[in-house]
Amino acid sequence: MSVMLYALSTCPYCRMTRKYLEENDVDFDLLEVDLLEGDERTAAIAKVKEISGGSSFPVIVIDDETIVGFNKKRIKELLGL
Amino acid sequence: MSKGKPVRRRFDESTTTADLRKYMAPFADRLGYKFNTDDEFVEEVLASEIEILDATGDVFCPCRVRTGDPKEDAKIVCPCIPFYRDQFAGLKKCWCGLFILKEVEDGLELLGVIEEPTGDIDVPVFRVADLPDGQIRHVKVGKHDIAVARVGDEFFALSNVCRHAFAPLAEGFMDGYYVMCPWHGWRYDVRDGSTDHPGANVKTHDITVVADEVRVRISLGR
Repeated sequence: MSVMLYALSTCPYCRMTRKYLEENDVDFDLLEVDLLEGDERTAAIAKVKEISGGSSFPVIVIDDETIVGFNKKRIKELLGL
Repeated sequence: MSKGKPVRRRFDESTTTADLRKYMAPFADRLGYKFNTDDEFVEEVLASEIEILDATGDVFCPCRVRTGDPKEDAKIVCPCIPFYRDQFAGLKKCWCGLFILKEVEDGLELLGVIEEPTGDIDVPVFRVADLPDGQIRHVKVGKHDIAVARVGDEFFALSNVCRHAFAPLAEGFMDGYYVMCPWHGWRYDVRDGSTDHPGANVKTHDITVVADEVRVRISLGR
């Protein structure tokens, strides 16, 4: 199972999501989009827009499912926690 | 008048979270919102905004990303409620949860659970006192351009766009229950959007008044 968290370093729900994943020993990749610069940042914003349809965070991709926002219930379901 | 870059100065370097509260609260109030009831959470979000202010010169939403396009980024300056009225009214809070609808008692309960709202949403647009009797005013609610008219103590909402030449009806003239289009004088009944020009009626929206707030009903996600 692959878990990717697109986040902003400033966003409270991103922190909550990260904490939740860590507390549940979930192995995940993290990309803090606001800390990127130049082309990397532009590419990451475009990617988030493509998968979530917007520019709101966090965006969590679990295998091929996308969750926008800290929706604990759905994260739990998809991770089988 | 000079054109060019938007003027960003609102808050100086010594700005505190208390300053932001003081500045934002009355504006949010006019939009039908108040700060979250969970004080610790409010402090956390505002502290993030201060960091963003120091880095960028404005209080952008901590939960949304800046694109670098000033027009787009203007829609994520906190409070960003006017740009997402429909969605936020459905969620009963702004995206971050920094602001919640005034009637929400427990703002903590709303944190984290973000599901796209669907169905009929009553969206606060302004207060009763903001629109005097016999006046009509434009409001943008999501993708809808709406004209809200007041006749006595009754409020009506109809499409802002005249079907003749797409003039903004909210710039027109009220005459009892009728609005005369500002461009060519077509008359619409604000109660049902009807006109005596065949096939040219405009859409209306249900409207409710809750406490001192005028709310326009929008259907989302259908």
